[in-house]
Amino acid sequence: MTESKQRYHPLLILFHLWRLLKNSIVFVIYLFVIKFGSDSTFIKYGRIIFFLLIGISIISIVVKWFSHKYKVDDTSFHLYKGLFAKSERTIPFSKIQNVNRRTTVIHRIFNVTSIKFETGMSDSDATVAFEAIPKKEADHLEEHITNTGVDEPSTNQAVSDPDMPPQDSKEAVVSNRRIHFKPTKKELIKASFTSFSFLVLIPIIISAYFKLTEIFHVGKKVEGLFLQITHSWWLLTIIVIVMLFASVIFGFAKTFLTYGKYEIASSEEQIFITKGIVEETTFTISKDKVQAIEMTQSLMKRLLGLVEVKLISAGGSNDGDEEMEINSLYPFLPIEQARKIISEILPSYEVTEEMTRLPGKSLWVRLFRPSWLWIFSTGLLFYFKPAVLGITQAWWILSIGLLLSIVVSRLLDFFHTSYTFNHHFIQFQTGGFTTSLFTSKRDKIMEVKISRNIVQRMLGLASIETVNRAKPVRHTALHDVPVQLGERFYTWYKKRENEIKIESKQ
Amino acid sequence: MYSKIHSPEHRLSKDAVKIWIIREVMIDILGFIILGVLFYLDYHFSWKDWIGWILIVITIIAVLFSIWSIFIEPFLLYRNFRYDADESFLQLKSGALKEVHQLVPMTKIQAVETNQGPLFRKYGLCSLEISTMGSSHTIPALPKEVAVKWRNQIAHFAKIKEVEE
Repeated sequence: MTESKQRYHPLLILFHLWRLLKNSIVFVIYLFVIKFGSDSTFIKYGRIIFFLLIGISIISIVVKWFSHKYKVDDTSFHLYKGLFAKSERTIPFSKIQNVNRRTTVIHRIFNVTSIKFETGMSDSDATVAFEAIPKKEADHLEEHITNTGVDEPSTNQAVSDPDMPPQDSKEAVVSNRRIHFKPTKKELIKASFTSFSFLVLIPIIISAYFKLTEIFHVGKKVEGLFLQITHSWWLLTIIVIVMLFASVIFGFAKTFLTYGKYEIASSEEQIFITKGIVEETTFTISKDKVQAIEMTQSLMKRLLGLVEVKLISAGGSNDGDEEMEINSLYPFLPIEQARKIISEILPSYEVTEEMTRLPGKSLWVRLFRPSWLWIFSTGLLFYFKPAVLGITQAWWILSIGLLLSIVVSRLLDFFHTSYTFNHHFIQFQTGGFTTSLFTSKRDKIMEVKISRNIVQRMLGLASIETVNRAKPVRHTALHDVPVQLGERFYTWYKKRENEIKIESKQ
Repeated sequence: MYSKIHSPEHRLSKDAVKIWIIREVMIDILGFIILGVLFYLDYHFSWKDWIGWILIVITIIAVLFSIWSIFIEPFLLYRNFRYDADESFLQLKSGALKEVHQLVPMTKIQAVETNQGPLFRKYGLCSLEISTMGSSHTIPALPKEVAVKWRNQIAHFAKIKEVEE
């Protein structure tokens, strides 16, 4: 790859300037638009300080661009920064957990993209990020790290496709991708129903209704009452219909834009998830870096037989940029198809349907466990006794309602909770209204924990917990399992020493 | 008791109980001095009524907590804490009311360190902190030689790395 130190793409300056502009726009409006004619000293000095800060920021952006450099060799990234105090950071490819690529509209204008190589490290410099990089170069980099980061390059044998003539390795990596899923129109429509995104506009409609009646009340006072109502009714129906249409279209458009170009693909070693029509993002992860699989189902999705599948990776951006987080396979997969895709892209994982339920006694433990939420909120309700919708006795109605929903959720949780583990796998299912099915491999589990409180000890129950690498660290617990199972779980985990591969001496 | 799980055997240092008690007494004395000052200020400047009530509630809670942390907790902690480590796992057991067993593979351990505060130094004790990629575990009080021995031992065991995937 590149053997000498390189600067990042010059567009980075532009991007940072753009971000600076976006962040300072509030101040600009305040200082120069709202307080346009103001002569107060506060505003005067405010403007001076503003200009100073902007100047410093611009200089620092340019200086940063000059001083930040990178180098890519056969094994790692080297990142250099600092003008006077220089620092060098080496990040070996083997530490990279996943790759995130994002092409916004602005990127598209300049024919570039942004790419982030995420590691499992916990400090703020954990990611190697190229915020602007020509597409070709990003492809090169990604391919470079996958080909050198993996121990045995098995890409060559992977080209077994008969109608693909053997090409050079670069082409092979691309053609090797097999597409597992692309949502059809019907599935997208289903998806927009489950996400309820078209309901977003309903509160707007309701408030518009009240506004309208108010306006008509004032404006048409002269005319007869009857005429006024029919008049507004007519208008109202039309408006409601139009608004409903608008909201449905809005919801569909939103779903289509986000999930329209969804694609789940995989090659021999990697999984690729691409989404977005306007703004394209791609998540790439090595198959052996998948720490666990989680399948979640909300109430609505359960009724429709859909499921969201997440691949849990140890990498992740620390900036908490939610939009970048697309470790999720398509969030509205039909459950059968989800299983099929998982077995196709991650043949080393098994998701089974045969799981063991909890014994009856754990239901009682769960039902009688004090609910702090209920005790606390009932206390508050009792103290303040708020009148809701004019009902003065609302406090105990609310309290009982909350208690009922807690009981229902616990009952559901009891029926949903189940588990299984066999030689390499562990699978937990938990959750009341929203369920989650967690599958991991024994060698991916970092540590385990069994605990028993007094009640559990009397009834011969225990809680078990696994800890997995993720960002943040993932604790998955299963409460009130029979104590024998706890022991089995413990000894099961102990056997991992037989299967792990030991690194040869460094 | 579990029948199949081999419980870890090693215990903490007996001296730890004494030190924990001393430490708690010192912290509590400091806390009660602050409370006393607050009560004096309350009386002297005749603060609002409810402040006095809050102070009384805090005092009651503080008394209960100090009884717990001086007369009960050190003994329970000493009696129930067990640890062990071999070439493949670190095992910890703790908790009187809620009994917890933990199993940490050696290959996942990233660092071990011994810590010694002023009181611990006086009695020749150390605490041992073992951190992995996602969590950290503490063995609260060991005689210094033992702590150092375990530190080196665990560091040696943990040097063997499994292929990280």
